[in-house]
Amino acid sequence: MKNSSKKFNGSESLKSTAKEPLKELKSSESPQNDDLIITEVPDSIIKTLESRIDHMCVKKDEGDERGPSCNMASVPGAVTQRSCVYGGARVVLMPITDAIHLVHGPIGCASCTWDIRGSRSSGEELYKKGFSTNLQEKDIVFGGEKKLFDTIIELNGIYNPAAIFVYSTCVVGLIGDDLKSVAREAEEITKCRIIPVQSEGFRSFNKSLGHQLACDAMLDHLIGTGELEKPEKLGLGQKSLASTQEKGPTLNIVGEFNVAGDLWAIQPLIEKMGITVQSAITGDSCVEEIANAHRADLNIVQCQKSSNYLARQMEEKYGIPHLKVNFFGIEDTGKSLLSIADFFQDQYPEIREIAEKIIETEIKKVRSEISHYKTRLTGKRVAVYVGGNKAWSLISAFEELGMKVIMTGTQNGLPEDYHRIMETVSEGTLVVDDANSMELAKLLKKYHPDLIVSGAKEKYMAHKLGIPFCDFNHDRISSFASFNGFINFAKEVDRAVSSPVWKLTSKYYQGIV
Amino acid sequence: MNEDKLLPNEDYSKCQELTNCDSGSHTNCKGSCGEISIPKSKKHFAVINPSKMCQPMGAVQVLLGIEGAMPLIHGSQGCSTYLRFQMCRHFREPVNISSTSMSESTVVYGGEENLLKALDTIWREYKPKLIGVTSSCLTETIGDDMGLIIRKFRSKHPDEELPPIIPISTPSYSGSHVDGYDKAVKSLLENMAVQNQTNSKINIITGNISPADIREIKEILEIMKCSSIILTDNSESLDAPHTDSVSFLPPAGTKVNEIIDSANSKATISLCKHANSGAKFLKKRFDVKSISGPLPVGLKNTDKFISAICKIQNCDLPEKLEKDRGRLIDTIIDAHPYNYQRKVAIYGDPDVVSGLAGFTAELGMIPTVVCTGAESNRFMDDMKEVAKESPTKPSVMEGCDLYDLQNYIKDNPVDLLIGNSYGARIANEENIPLFRVGFPIYDRMGAQRIPIVGYSAGISLVDTLANMILEKYYDASGWEIE
Repeated sequence: MKNSSKKFNGSESLKSTAKEPLKELKSSESPQNDDLIITEVPDSIIKTLESRIDHMCVKKDEGDERGPSCNMASVPGAVTQRSCVYGGARVVLMPITDAIHLVHGPIGCASCTWDIRGSRSSGEELYKKGFSTNLQEKDIVFGGEKKLFDTIIELNGIYNPAAIFVYSTCVVGLIGDDLKSVAREAEEITKCRIIPVQSEGFRSFNKSLGHQLACDAMLDHLIGTGELEKPEKLGLGQKSLASTQEKGPTLNIVGEFNVAGDLWAIQPLIEKMGITVQSAITGDSCVEEIANAHRADLNIVQCQKSSNYLARQMEEKYGIPHLKVNFFGIEDTGKSLLSIADFFQDQYPEIREIAEKIIETEIKKVRSEISHYKTRLTGKRVAVYVGGNKAWSLISAFEELGMKVIMTGTQNGLPEDYHRIMETVSEGTLVVDDANSMELAKLLKKYHPDLIVSGAKEKYMAHKLGIPFCDFNHDRISSFASFNGFINFAKEVDRAVSSPVWKLTSKYYQGIV
Repeated sequence: MNEDKLLPNEDYSKCQELTNCDSGSHTNCKGSCGEISIPKSKKHFAVINPSKMCQPMGAVQVLLGIEGAMPLIHGSQGCSTYLRFQMCRHFREPVNISSTSMSESTVVYGGEENLLKALDTIWREYKPKLIGVTSSCLTETIGDDMGLIIRKFRSKHPDEELPPIIPISTPSYSGSHVDGYDKAVKSLLENMAVQNQTNSKINIITGNISPADIREIKEILEIMKCSSIILTDNSESLDAPHTDSVSFLPPAGTKVNEIIDSANSKATISLCKHANSGAKFLKKRFDVKSISGPLPVGLKNTDKFISAICKIQNCDLPEKLEKDRGRLIDTIIDAHPYNYQRKVAIYGDPDVVSGLAGFTAELGMIPTVVCTGAESNRFMDDMKEVAKESPTKPSVMEGCDLYDLQNYIKDNPVDLLIGNSYGARIANEENIPLFRVGFPIYDRMGAQRIPIVGYSAGISLVDTLANMILEKYYDASGWEIE
């Protein structure tokens, strides 16, 4: 318990302050901005919830890789930022564009989650529709299998989709509908792939289980079932799957969901290196592409949070090796391209040189385009609170803009995620697991960063405190990946940080900012 | 008009005209009825692009209008997180909803332990003035008795002054967010209202309308010098000013004491008919007069609302409102050439849809098709009222979704679409302008500031609709495009 002694002054002081309610936080109480390095976990943040103490830590020195406690149930009653297992499964699979995503459950599970992921498509739009079996009380009593079966047959008749993913929800898990057998039966009749996803919302407090279940659904029912050597891409648009090219090196981009068009910034670079993208799993994908994903020579994993599992399983099942990549940030994008080149170098010796050339040209372009943003952004302090791999992959991206990450955390981090985070962050960075909304507000108020990067639920809290906000989630409007995306990223960050609107807030007049 | 009938009547819209009902097929209709047609859905099982949400969504919106209240959803984490997500992006405000964070291990043994822990955490952490506990499909199915668990919590803290803790049963597998809203208001009143001294106030149960609408209603009441209890008032919490601070609980809104005091009011007006169960309870239990709907959208419906208040208050129409009313008529007349016989499709919550349908008919438009995701006979009745003013039979879809609506529009084109952001795709695909109103609106600014009730909101609504028509169907020189 290396960190425990510096975290708080003993349980008595915790209890003595526990009765003070903290309903409202004035951001004007924030400290001076020159307080650059955090030395201790602030006990004022955690004093009311003792069980939360171990979920925060400060990186002390280079060798310090022990992260906070994580992967534990949230405290009941807290305003958790976490989602459910169904939500986890849905975000992984929903970008598959020519499939129906049918939510087997009461209406709310579908009506709150349809068309919310900012994954873009170059062709089909079917994935954006919200489908539900709309379970009613009588279905809960008598079972929903018949209704599910009828719904699948009906939807298949209307849309003739490439596949129907059927998501299980909390109540379906309780009443015990057998999704697998209904799917099998319906598949026989419709001749359409009907894929059950066992994503009962309550199965875990960590939606990572949902990611894994979604990967399982693809592994069990989709990947490896494709019969086409080179599947024809159905949609047109920006994507150009080289179906007529002669066979060169191929890879799958795993864990890239094409949010705001990220894939479209990554894929051209890979293709310039002479590599064919067999499939993206699952951004801007169609079912047939994923069905043939087992034919690729390599898997590169972008979102390691959701998709490492898939890559490992594919390695085991099909012998496809995998590389972890990160296309956020100039340097990491460059490194990722080089590691891909190195992988194929024995087969294609010229590939390294091509990659180096691409990187050189692109970096030159990006550096010149971001220079004026960088002038304004250098020295600014950032708090990152996101899901998935962004908690570490954004850190070096901010360094390239001259900004410093002072705080980072995730809702659903696993020990290996925090290991990665502790490796990446610099000394004096606060690392927080599963912060609830009150803790987050207290931390923002205490350290008053110049920017917080997070998702839609935290946006307005930051705005109310007068803290610039950048969306790195479903709702963002421009692609942040790869070299071009980095220019967009710099622009978005600048738009948030440098806007004059923050001067209208009262604390600006008080000379605090 | 039979004035005596106005107040005691369940529904003040029904006593405006007492002619014979000729269609007579529906309940409650004392007036002559217009005819509606009920198009058949092309499907039987699936819901595609839903036009309703689940009960907890409605219940939580009630709770967020109470000063210092904390909503707690007894269910999986996703329930509270997704509702927060939807509400944050609509209202553009921080929204806090806590969760009992049920998971597999806790489901097996029932949710009692988690609910007790959650109440304890909320009580210690947030010190709320009220805790509203809504159930979910999960905890309804495992059969948790929330009332019993709450009593257990109270008995564990005999010496502490705990806030009211109100159980609200909102199983997501029945009804919709409209019912959730209704049930939450009713549960609050059932558990809290106490009769002692009359207070000369009017209770207003707003139903699920925007903060801007609630502000309009409050303004009208102020002009009429009518003191009121708003059940519940989210106009401050969900459209809050910037103060360099953030509140975890609604910083303003209906006060706990006001909910208690509601039993002593002169009358309850439920602006939305689908939110009148609380009013019915107050009538039955404490004999507080109950008047419900229609939502005061447009001239006639606002007239009905205001005349109801005039009668309760025994006052005349204040000059300010009379002028607003005159200005609304003036606006309607000025805009009529653009609006005449324009076909509109309206979707959303039943009271908002029937209110807007009535208003568009007043403007000379044709409410061609209306659609609500909720299942409701009352909605059908309301649309029959509207049909009296419409030159053609409106097609009425209840318990339907946006897929059904779009199919109908494909076969029967309309000029204008009115509803929430989920219709943006229909608008785009069918090339119709969309006026955004309702919930959720996430692709435009100002969702929380769109008012539709009362005279002055009506004026800007007429202007906006007419301008949308001008924009779409007239060229730059002002000529109508053939």
